[in-house]
Amino acid sequence: MDRKKDFINIIKTNEGLIFKVAGLYTNSDEDRDDLVQEIVYQLWKSFDTFNEQSKLSTWMYRVALNTAIFQLNKTKRTISTIPIDKGDFGLVDDLEKAEEERIKQLYEQIQKLNLLEKGIVLLYLEGKSHEEIATITGLSISNVGTRLSRIREKMKTEIHKTR
Amino acid sequence: MELEEMRASWEVLNQKVEKQRILTDKMIDKMTQEKYKNNLRKVALPEYIGTLICYFGAAYLIINFSKIDGLVFQIFGILSVLLLFTLPVISLKSVRAMKNIKIHSGSYADAIQDYANRKIRFQKLQKLNVALGLFFLIILIPTLGSISGKDINNIPNFWTLIFPIVTGFFIVFSYWVLKHYNRALKDGEEILSALKD
Repeated sequence: MDRKKDFINIIKTNEGLIFKVAGLYTNSDEDRDDLVQEIVYQLWKSFDTFNEQSKLSTWMYRVALNTAIFQLNKTKRTISTIPIDKGDFGLVDDLEKAEEERIKQLYEQIQKLNLLEKGIVLLYLEGKSHEEIATITGLSISNVGTRLSRIREKMKTEIHKTR
Repeated sequence: MELEEMRASWEVLNQKVEKQRILTDKMIDKMTQEKYKNNLRKVALPEYIGTLICYFGAAYLIINFSKIDGLVFQIFGILSVLLLFTLPVISLKSVRAMKNIKIHSGSYADAIQDYANRKIRFQKLQKLNVALGLFFLIILIPTLGSISGKDINNIPNFWTLIFPIVTGFFIVFSYWVLKHYNRALKDGEEILSALKD
């Protein structure tokens, strides 16, 4: 029972992480809520195997990102069981108009990236070090650096294209 | 927007998201249970109903096999029974190809690779299923005609008009469906090549 309590506390403390991942890999509120549920479910399933020595956020990001990948084709078939109050949560709600616009642009740009780049960018934006990104993604530290440079270049090219 | 600018915008979003508290103890507790039931329901219904229908169809053909006249139609009958047993197996296999995944043990790159490989396998099995399904429909019509005692040769314009039109329709339809699967296959291959870059 204590284990469940620990789990619930961890989820509540880190729900922002789950919502951010879910928001990036889905295109509608309904799909996002389904993915949130699936991530929580997968985290619970792997909670017993979670090694306390490894960083909590590393485990959570890994499970959340991996779940998001395998949920890509399923979203249409999933039945949402637990309604999440959308009035309380919206990634761009409660923001100033200008901020909202920038967040939308940010999302649009991330959506243009391929799956691997999307994950790397998310972790980069979350302030993770190259080492942590490497641990979560399974790439080498130097490869993370190379990929980030390429993403930077890609974005610059995009900016030139749109101007 | 450049990467560094994105980081600044993300920080604004972060501050809002971190403050929000949406998930309650009860919701989280439910999420750890409800999804499990859901997954079971998703596997059980459409796939097993489809399989049952196919097996009933096969049983009907076997029971009425003696009514089929002529060697060609009998061969069609045997092939139809074989297909009715094979098609659901392929369907279940292709669905299962997207399940039993290793979400917890592998890295993100492993998950992407696994996902792309499964996607490719799934699309190939679906392509096979569509091709066999269309072939099945073409051979089933004369077989059922033979069981109900109707001689297809006596139906006016069957070989000269009806059969070519139906076959043509199936060829166009299968081309359209396979094009969709080919596009999905290409997506999977692109994901894999992006990993290797």
